[in-house]
Amino acid sequence: MKARLRTSLTLRVTLVFTLIVALAASGLGIYLYRAFAGELVRRDDVQLLGKLRQVQLLLGRPGAAELLRTQPEVFRDTMSGQENSLVRILAADGRLLADINALGEHYPVPPSAGAAPGTAAIAAWTTRRGDPGRVVAGSARLGTGQVTVVVARAYAERSAMFAGYRRQIAGAAAVSALAAALLAALMLRRGLQPLRSMAAHAALVRPGTLGRRLDLAGMPSELRPLADAINAMLARLQAGYVRLSGFSADLAHEFRTPVANLLGQSQVMLAQARSVADYEALTVSNVEELERLARMIDSMLFLARAEQDEVALQRQPLAALDELGKVADFYDGMAQERGLALACSGGATVLADAALLRRALANLLSNAVRHADEGSTIVLHAERQGERTVLSVTNTGKPVAPAHLAHLFARFYRADAARSDADGSTGLGLSIVSAIMALHGGEAAVQADGRSMRFSLAFPMA
Amino acid sequence: MALLPEHAMAILVIEDEPKTGDYLQRGLGESGFAVRLARNGRDGLFIAREEEIELVVLDVMLPRMDGWQVLEALRADPATEGIPVLFLTARDEVEDRVRGLELGADDYLVKPFAFVELLARIRTLLRRGPVREEELIRIGDMEIDVLRRRVRRGAQPVVLTAQEFALLHLLARRQGQVLSRSLIASQVWDMNFDSDTNVIDAAVRRLRRKIDDPFTDKLIHTRRGMGYVCEQDAAR
Repeated sequence: MKARLRTSLTLRVTLVFTLIVALAASGLGIYLYRAFAGELVRRDDVQLLGKLRQVQLLLGRPGAAELLRTQPEVFRDTMSGQENSLVRILAADGRLLADINALGEHYPVPPSAGAAPGTAAIAAWTTRRGDPGRVVAGSARLGTGQVTVVVARAYAERSAMFAGYRRQIAGAAAVSALAAALLAALMLRRGLQPLRSMAAHAALVRPGTLGRRLDLAGMPSELRPLADAINAMLARLQAGYVRLSGFSADLAHEFRTPVANLLGQSQVMLAQARSVADYEALTVSNVEELERLARMIDSMLFLARAEQDEVALQRQPLAALDELGKVADFYDGMAQERGLALACSGGATVLADAALLRRALANLLSNAVRHADEGSTIVLHAERQGERTVLSVTNTGKPVAPAHLAHLFARFYRADAARSDADGSTGLGLSIVSAIMALHGGEAAVQADGRSMRFSLAFPMA
Repeated sequence: MALLPEHAMAILVIEDEPKTGDYLQRGLGESGFAVRLARNGRDGLFIAREEEIELVVLDVMLPRMDGWQVLEALRADPATEGIPVLFLTARDEVEDRVRGLELGADDYLVKPFAFVELLARIRTLLRRGPVREEELIRIGDMEIDVLRRRVRRGAQPVVLTAQEFALLHLLARRQGQVLSRSLIASQVWDMNFDSDTNVIDAAVRRLRRKIDDPFTDKLIHTRRGMGYVCEQDAAR
C-alpha cells in the first residue's frame, strides 16, 4: 500500500481529494449544526423568559396571593402546560410559597435579575438523567409584597435530537467523501486516458517504427509539452538510428572492397602454379589491404569510444606552435616529395591532450598534403581568438563544391566519389578529427574560398 | 646448439586459435627463438613450470583456463614468477590492459598487430636491464658517431638533418631487426597512432638518397609488407 501510494498517481490524488471533500463536508456540517443548535437554545430561552413573564403577570392579578395560598393546584394548572416546566416562587424572606416540580429535580437558583430579565440572566443546569436544563429568576409583585419567581426547564428531547442530528451530519460527510473518492478515481481514470494511449504508443516503438509520432490532436494542453518532448526524442532517436544503420551499411561496403581484393587475388594466384616472386607480390599486396583494414578497425573503435566519452583526456597547456612544428616535421618528407612547402606561424597556448591533438593535426595535414596543388605552400597557423585557441591548416587545391563541405567530417565521406583508396586513406580521418574536437569541447570547421581550403580546430581555453 | 644465433631463447606461446598459434610458432622460430606452443592454458602452465622458458606470449581468451588465471598462476609460483609475460588481447578495453598489467604482465598487444611489432616487443622484454647506448655504431662502411651526430660512409661524411639522423640512429641501433612503420613513427616523431604509411616511406626515401643512393653498398632495405631494416648484407 505504501509502495502503491508512492507510485500510483490515481491513488494519491483520490486520497487527497477524498480527504478534502470529507473535511469540507464535516466542516460545513459542524457549522450548520452549531448554527442550528444555537438558534434552538435561543428560542428556548425566549420561551423560558415568556414563561417567567406569564408567571409574573399571573402573580400580578388581584387575588393572586389568595389563590396561591388556598388553591395552589389551580395555580399549578394555569402554570403548567408542559410537564418539564418547573416553577418556584419564593417570598422576600426566602420562604417557599410554591414549587411545581413533578420530577423532583434539583436545580440551582440564580440571583434574581429584576422585573424584566434578559437572556443573559439565564443559567444552565443538568438534570439527574444528564439532560440539559435552563433556569432564570426574576422578581414579581404579589399583592403588596415582592417575591422571586424561578422558572426552569429541562430539555430531555433536545440531547437526543442533537445526537441524531450529529449522526446524520457524520453520515452525510462520510457518504459525500465516499462519493468523492469514487468520482475522483473515475475522473482520473478518464483524465489519464491520454497518458495510457501515450504509453501504448511508446510500447509500439521499435527500430522499424521510429517514424511514428504521438498524435497531438485531442491531447490535453497539460500533456502537450510531454508529448512534444517525446516526439522530439523520437525524432532524435530516428536520426541517430538512421545515421547508425547508414554507418553500418557504409562499414560493410568499406570492408567489402578490401576483402574482395584479398579473396579474389589470392584465389587467382592459387589457380595456377606461380613463381616465388608472384607469391611474394601477392602476400605483400594482401598485407597492404590487411593493414588498411586494421587501421579502419582501429579508427572505428576510436570513434565508437569517443562517441561514448570513453576516451580519457589528459589535457595540459601546450605551446601550439611547437605542436604544429612537430606534425609539420613528421610530414616534411612527404610534402617535399610532392613539391610542397609547410609553413608554421602564429602562436598561443592550447589546452589539449597532446597525443590526440597530434592525431587531429596529423589527419588534417595528411588530408592537406594529399589535396594540395603541387608546388604550393600549406600554412599551419595558431592564434588566440577570444576564449579559444584556433589551430588551422590551409592549403590550395582543387576546389571542393560547397555541397560537399558540410559532409567532409562525416564518416567515409569522400568529396571525390571517383577517387580510389589507393592512397591508403580509410575515409575516417576527418571524422576522427571532429570526434577529438568534440572530446575537447571544441569544434572542427572547414572553410573554402575558391581554391583555398582551410580546416580549423577551435579549442576552448578552460 | 651453440651455433644458433641469440642462443635460441625459449619462448612459450599459449594460444588456442589454431592459425594464430601456427604463425606465431613459425614466425618466432624463423626469427631465431626456440618456440613451445600450448593450445590451452593448462598445458601452457605445465610447460612453463617444467621447462626453461624465458618469455611467455599469452592470449587472454583461452578455453578452460583463461589468460588471467594463467598469469596469476605464473606469478604465484616462485619458479615462474620472474618470466616476462606479453599478453595478447582482441578487446582493446582500458580495463583489460590495466588488469593485465596489474596481474603482473610486462607488456601487451592488441589484435590485430603487426608481426614485426610483436617481435620488437619480445626483443625489448628479453633485453633485460638498461640498454647500453653505443656511442659509435658501425654497419659496413658506415660509421655513426652518436654523440657528435656525425655520419660517414667510408671516408665521405654525410650531412643529415636532425630528423634524418634520428631515423638512421633508430634503424642502426636495431640493426638486423625489421622495424614497422608505426614503430618508426612512434620512436622518431612521437606519433603514437596508425598514421599515413606514406609518411614513413617518404622519410626513409629521403634518408636513402643521402645514405645509400650515392654508394653501391646499400644499407637500408625495405622488407615489403613489414617495414625497414638496416643491415650490411643485402641478400637476406
